[in-house]
Amino acid sequence: MNSEMMRTQIRALCQAPRPEGKEAFFRKVKAQGLLHRRPRTISQWEFAAGQFLYIEKWVWALSVLLLLLITAACRRSPGNEPFALTPFLAAGILAQTGRSFRWKMAEMEHAARFSLRSVLLARLFWVGVVNTAGLMLVVLLVRPCFSYSLIRVFLYMMVPYLTAAWLGSVYERKQRADHGWGSVLICLLSSAAFAAAPAFLAGLYEERLTVLWAALFITMAGGLPGSIRNWIARMEEPVWN
Amino acid sequence: MELTADRISKQYKNKIAVDRLSFTLTEGVTGLLGSNGAGKTTLMRLLCGILVPTSGSVACGGMDVCTEEYRDILGYLPQEFGYYPEFTGRDFLLYMSAVKGLPRRDALRRTEELIELVGLKPVARKKVRTYSGGMKQRLGIAQALLNDPQVLIMDEPTAGLDPQERIRFRELIAGLGKNRIVLLSTHIVSDLEHIADQLMIMKEGRLVWQGKWHAGKEDLEAFYISKIQDER
Repeated sequence: MNSEMMRTQIRALCQAPRPEGKEAFFRKVKAQGLLHRRPRTISQWEFAAGQFLYIEKWVWALSVLLLLLITAACRRSPGNEPFALTPFLAAGILAQTGRSFRWKMAEMEHAARFSLRSVLLARLFWVGVVNTAGLMLVVLLVRPCFSYSLIRVFLYMMVPYLTAAWLGSVYERKQRADHGWGSVLICLLSSAAFAAAPAFLAGLYEERLTVLWAALFITMAGGLPGSIRNWIARMEEPVWN
Repeated sequence: MELTADRISKQYKNKIAVDRLSFTLTEGVTGLLGSNGAGKTTLMRLLCGILVPTSGSVACGGMDVCTEEYRDILGYLPQEFGYYPEFTGRDFLLYMSAVKGLPRRDALRRTEELIELVGLKPVARKKVRTYSGGMKQRLGIAQALLNDPQVLIMDEPTAGLDPQERIRFRELIAGLGKNRIVLLSTHIVSDLEHIADQLMIMKEGRLVWQGKWHAGKEDLEAFYISKIQDER
């Protein structure tokens, strides 16, 4: 007997009988409340929307204050210095990455249905979206004050912000127990570096280097999700230690 | 429902925290005893899916413990936990309800019920930072019960509770253990004496004894010490 015949015969012998009384069985368990015993739970979107309310007020206050400050600085003296203020916006994002660990909530959040990953991603999403939208608005508002094109103002604003966010996310992945001071220092150093850069690179804000800014923007914008993904993938060990 | 661990181990660099444990937990209260550093907390984290075992597997009712479905039926009280500084006791429970996926209306109802149950009603709207150690522990117990868990894992739940609170807690756990899997770790033997249906004794990452416990048949403390010493 070849294997194909054997398989056919085994299949015929092991044929499951037709279900009898299936409908009656389901009616009975439904009547007894045994189906869907677990309470209804919220969807991923409802959860993510709810996390907006749990972002600390100072994060929003800092974002609003910085966006107003950048707008005012650009209008008053439309030079390159105001662009160096955007790294401070990253402090709000970075504060969210280590918050659960700092306040020892990580373990409980990890064991809950939506888990720590969802909590962190939802918060990062909200702060990131609000900051980026705010910066876009500022770019549109201050663009007439500059002789640069819209795309150049956008790049000069976004690159320092994303640089600080990317460096800070790498730092937060490795160091979590310093109450975020390391990330604040990274924002400060990024700001200082971009403020001092024209003194060392004279043509940094010239049109011919727009390609360099665009390359930096793509690198940072592409690197930041990767860095967050690496960090999320290694979420197990942080909880332990 | 059964929670089954199949030859699970957890190794940290040169230390084996949990060494090839296999067991099945069924409905009822299981007490996990062991001295400090025996591997109780690591085992509990493995059972909650917080840690991934170096080898072996943990499953509950056919679900892997890393899945959302399992976490949906899990209640966990860690040994050490904190709270966001702006939270009141009520905020804390509402927040944990959201992370556990409870709809707002259910979250409000469960929060009120549990605040009442753990005796925190008079201080529910006060900041958690003003709570005593025992109050924080009761809040932790309440959050573990928010989603009406089928699997309840509590690491040193009676730490910081005064004698009266401990008696109340024991009664609560005995009631909960009737129709769900409850695993408690402690090194206070008397906490388990009258409520544990099963016992597991750990030493240096290994299970040195596991079996049914019949309250009143023997002195648990003497039994525990004899089992720990047998292993020397």
